[in-house]
Amino acid sequence: MKDLSELDFPETVRYTEDHEWAAVDGETVRIGVSDYAQDQLGDIVYVEMPEIGDIFEKGDEFGTLESVKAVSEIYMPVGGEVVAVNEALVDTPELINQDPYGAWIVEIRVTDVGEYDELMSAEDYLEMLRG
Amino acid sequence: MDQLRMTPLHQWHLGQGANMARFGSYDMPLWYPAGARAEHLAVIEAAGIFDTSHMAVIGLDGDGARDLLQRCFTKDLDRCQGRDKGPLAIGRCVYGVFLAAAGAVIDDAIVYRLAETAWMVVVNAGMGPVVAGHLESQGGSGVRISDCGDQLGKMDIQGPLAARILAKVLHDPGPVLADMVYFSCKGGFGELQTPVPVRLNDGTPLLLSRTGYTGEFGFELFVAADRIVPLWQTVLAAGEEFGLLPCGLAARDSLRTGAVLPLSHQDIGPWPFVNNPWLFTLPWDGGGTAFTKEFIGASALRDDPGDAYTLPFAGFDPRKITVGKDTFVTDRQGDTIGQVLTCATDMAIDRVGEVIVSVATPPAEGRPADFRPRGLSCGFIKVNRPLAAGATVSITDGRRQIRVEIRTDIRPHRSARHPITSML
Repeated sequence: MKDLSELDFPETVRYTEDHEWAAVDGETVRIGVSDYAQDQLGDIVYVEMPEIGDIFEKGDEFGTLESVKAVSEIYMPVGGEVVAVNEALVDTPELINQDPYGAWIVEIRVTDVGEYDELMSAEDYLEMLRG
Repeated sequence: MDQLRMTPLHQWHLGQGANMARFGSYDMPLWYPAGARAEHLAVIEAAGIFDTSHMAVIGLDGDGARDLLQRCFTKDLDRCQGRDKGPLAIGRCVYGVFLAAAGAVIDDAIVYRLAETAWMVVVNAGMGPVVAGHLESQGGSGVRISDCGDQLGKMDIQGPLAARILAKVLHDPGPVLADMVYFSCKGGFGELQTPVPVRLNDGTPLLLSRTGYTGEFGFELFVAADRIVPLWQTVLAAGEEFGLLPCGLAARDSLRTGAVLPLSHQDIGPWPFVNNPWLFTLPWDGGGTAFTKEFIGASALRDDPGDAYTLPFAGFDPRKITVGKDTFVTDRQGDTIGQVLTCATDMAIDRVGEVIVSVATPPAEGRPADFRPRGLSCGFIKVNRPLAAGATVSITDGRRQIRVEIRTDIRPHRSARHPITSML
């Protein structure tokens, strides 16, 4: 398990208590899991993703990450409609381990931009991890 | 909760940045920075080493030792070796289980015959005092039982290149390895000695056993506790050119599951040892209908075979469920028919059409040139009815439901039994 100082927490994305990240990309928001999450889970071997058009509220479970250790649910940092899923993860789920902030899982059109602003900054997230 | 225990390699694991977790009473590595997938594949394609110092070793010595083991251990030590079912020879070992009177499993074990009246029993972490106590409670005169406890350092080297790596660290490896058949042992440490000494290049004595818990070719190495760290580092350095990786418990679990090996207290445990894939450990006569000896638990197995059936399964993709008290097996009608004992992902296999193929499958036997396995979920279920291989059931944790196929075997083309002459 890596020390927190060895993990990457870019300031360009925002974080949830469940270790997802969200990043504004033009009109939409991309969502993935943090470096801390992938390090805790170990090798990701399968990603279950929603369908394009699915609508979720903030906090809804929208998929699962299958690691060597366990099956982990992933939750929506913000509510919205899925406009894209990262098809690359179907054949190469290990991209999440290799590049957790490049390997987005879903892209959504947000319902309420205010929800994004409520997410944690990198500094706050790191503070939470330090306990 | 018991105090957390550590093996002599604990500091090494932490220094490598291993992801640690509690296993039994020990703090053990789950995986190292290479990750469980790379570790799992290394053992099938190259080699891996495992810290197994948490395992327990019991020594038995004296004229009464054989009779005691014959009474307590399921294998018939007088009729278990080779095609002709001869007595277990000195320098050979055999896998079996210790049963309680009601036929439930106390623990599984490998029993070694070290000398005419000297035996070694290797059991699971934390089980040394339990099994030693059981043997003592059944023991007659003429046997000395010693729980070797914390005096033990143990590591396994597993994978097709294991012998080539080992040859670099052993003193005079040629004669040592040349005739090491599957389930044989040589050398010794402390009071546990076979007639043939084995030493490392630096003179350290070790007991070398051609066994393992991965289904792949390899060895288990036993040394005095204070020798395990230098041995581990020596083997790791020797294996670097061969792609050797240190491996954690996650890879050990996925490898053993794919090889249809049970985890004691999970796949076998406090229920009758019947209707499961491991009945080869019972002392069947030639016809497979009666036992060749009496042993503790035998009458319970004969009289009350029960209605629980433990079966291996494999899924159709890597999806698994996290086993807990709410995980169930359901039939096609959705009725609950049993529980899930183990569910892991063997990351070296995938389905090619109807057939399960491994990275070790020869191309001539069905491995496509561009084979890149996603992995398959696999494990064991315990259900209330017999199911034929090929039948499908669902396993569920109440949230997700996964269709799996009943199997007789899971990962094909395993290397454990390959002749050593082809592995040097």
